[in-house]
Amino acid sequence: MKQPLFWKLLITVVILSSLLASCGGAPTAAPAVQNPTTAPAAVEATTAPAAVEATTAPTSAPAVEQFTTSSGFVCPQPNPRMDVTSKEFNLFVWTEYIPTEWKECFEKVYGITINHDEYSSNEEMYAKISSGSTSYDLIQPTDYIVSLMIRKGLLQKLDNSKLTILKNMDPKYMNQPFDPGNIYTIPYEGGLDAIIYNSEKVKTPPTSYADLWNPEYAGKIVLLDDSRVVIGMTLLTLGFDVNTKDSAQLDQAKAKLAKLIPGVKLFDSNSPKTALIAGDADLGIVWTGEAYTAQQENPAFKFVYPTEGAVIWQDNYAIPANAPHLDAAYAWINYTMQGDLFYLMLRDFPYLNPDLAALDYAKANAPDLYNPFNESPITNPPAEAVSAAHRIDDVGDATTLYDKLWTEIKGSN
Amino acid sequence: MLQKLRENQNIQGLILILPTLLFMVGLLIIPLILTTVVSFGRRSADGGVIYTFTLDNYARLFGYSTTCTNGAASCFDPLYVDITVRSFWLALETTVLVILLAYPLAYFIARSTPKRRTTFLFMVLVPLWTNFVIRVYAWMMILRTQGVLNGLLGAFAGLFHIPFTPFDMLYTPGAVLVGMVYEFLPFMILPIYTSLEKIDNSLYEAAADLGANPLRTIFRVTLPLSMPGVVAGTILVFIPVMGTFIVSDILGGQKVMLVGNLIQRQFLDARDPTFGSAASLILMVMTLIVTYFYTRKFGFGEEIIAV
Repeated sequence: MKQPLFWKLLITVVILSSLLASCGGAPTAAPAVQNPTTAPAAVEATTAPAAVEATTAPTSAPAVEQFTTSSGFVCPQPNPRMDVTSKEFNLFVWTEYIPTEWKECFEKVYGITINHDEYSSNEEMYAKISSGSTSYDLIQPTDYIVSLMIRKGLLQKLDNSKLTILKNMDPKYMNQPFDPGNIYTIPYEGGLDAIIYNSEKVKTPPTSYADLWNPEYAGKIVLLDDSRVVIGMTLLTLGFDVNTKDSAQLDQAKAKLAKLIPGVKLFDSNSPKTALIAGDADLGIVWTGEAYTAQQENPAFKFVYPTEGAVIWQDNYAIPANAPHLDAAYAWINYTMQGDLFYLMLRDFPYLNPDLAALDYAKANAPDLYNPFNESPITNPPAEAVSAAHRIDDVGDATTLYDKLWTEIKGSN
Repeated sequence: MLQKLRENQNIQGLILILPTLLFMVGLLIIPLILTTVVSFGRRSADGGVIYTFTLDNYARLFGYSTTCTNGAASCFDPLYVDITVRSFWLALETTVLVILLAYPLAYFIARSTPKRRTTFLFMVLVPLWTNFVIRVYAWMMILRTQGVLNGLLGAFAGLFHIPFTPFDMLYTPGAVLVGMVYEFLPFMILPIYTSLEKIDNSLYEAAADLGANPLRTIFRVTLPLSMPGVVAGTILVFIPVMGTFIVSDILGGQKVMLVGNLIQRQFLDARDPTFGSAASLILMVMTLIVTYFYTRKFGFGEEIIAV
């Protein structure tokens, strides 16, 4: 008589485990979702202008071994070549943010294996790093999360003597309030979260963040799945500071945002341009580089700096405190930020570019990349747009309020 | 020693389940205890866990709110209850739709010749060779405003000169439902097939001999005998749908919040592992309760073991 009970128990355990697999699998399964979105990057990579590659080819010294990527890109020699003993390198970066050639070249040139993980929000990255169970060598935190990570002792000070590319950095991007003196970070890329719209489909062009609430746009909006950007933008429409810690102001923002959300078609931080290009959304707030790419594909997309002043941000390279492969991290930074490699960002992920050597290299060797990049108000924003922009800061204890507001606002529909 | 082992069935059983037992203790029981401990903790300002004993997280889940718009000290906030109810309904809709789609197909496969049966079963399983997430992405391409489905409908309408405006299908709750049904269909087909296939052909003959018409045969013979398969399939579909978050993230445009999404967001974006733990425990308990009553009514479904 005991036999059936035993089986029932066993089956219960099996069911429990499948349940746990479906909810407990959350952290590991999340990156898998993002992987397919990197596919377009690979496609872009193969369509690179042949002329560019031809000019980069004959630069190496004859005695040194020459490597070529599978797409035919000739890997530049590292300058200087660093002493790297690590055999592995754990890279933890934003989705759609690393040209494929970098990885292939770095692996070949330094004989190293790259473990590449991706995230699609600062909060996600922070949650993983602060759990302490990761061993990443290099991350790309955005400004406000840098201050938080410094405060929590999660980053280590950079050894400037090992950073040969420091001299290439545009001073405009250095010495920012989130890391004065660049003790912990060096700039990677930046952007302004202005509004992009399809001028063929949108009848009344938006001019401000507040215009997004126009009922005409309902059901056509794509927004970044980024709590601080979306809440910050709402705060600006109410005339408040993007970094307010006042819960009454945040409550007002919540009420206002609740009116916008039903009209939002989708939230996407991985590849929001896809929805715009595919016609699922007609306007919204997307990353600078995504807006630029969308416009290159379809000139009908227009970019407007909102009258409230856009939200400005800057991503940075930083090394976690517990990074196991320091030599590889420094070698990677120096190698990929060389002008002849970092200029690939103009082709793949055209954001505001702090690497002057890359811009010079592109100007001289890839004018077909450089000229549209330099002329576009998206990637080369007018000075008044930059000076009017609002930067998101760490809000300390008020972070809880933002996180809770975001959960509630997203869950209520 | 060996002699003893041969005689003692208890030890034999223990040795047989030992690997699974270790696996379950290490990867299920211990994490479950940790989750329970964390769920009674409090979130620190930066998203860490302060280990105390508070029921705040559970109270919040059941709608107790201290941030009320009407100025009262506490009020009922239906947010999380709504999310749970929404997930429950979606899981129910998915399961019913999947049964309706899977049953005729499983019947068709079970009644075809053994050689064809293998081919058909193979065809059911082939999609599972592709990654789960990629299959969901394929649905994005199909459901887009300028996607495959709207393209076909548009071409069809064009043939008959009917004006056609593309449907907004992607990033809606309906898209999530379609994705769920598609993803979990094989898990219903297989157990139903197994139980249908086991039905002795002579039972059908007997039913016919005794004067039952085909419809009566289905309701009096086929359906009752295949119930174990349906029950097993329901358990295999309902429970994962309650907890999954990828389908709703991709096809719902990060906008359709289910319990699975809520839990995932607590651990990543909202950085509140205590609330996330509480939510996942509640989900687990709820699912167990539903499963318990369901299996008490319909039995456990022997076919779950066959699958």
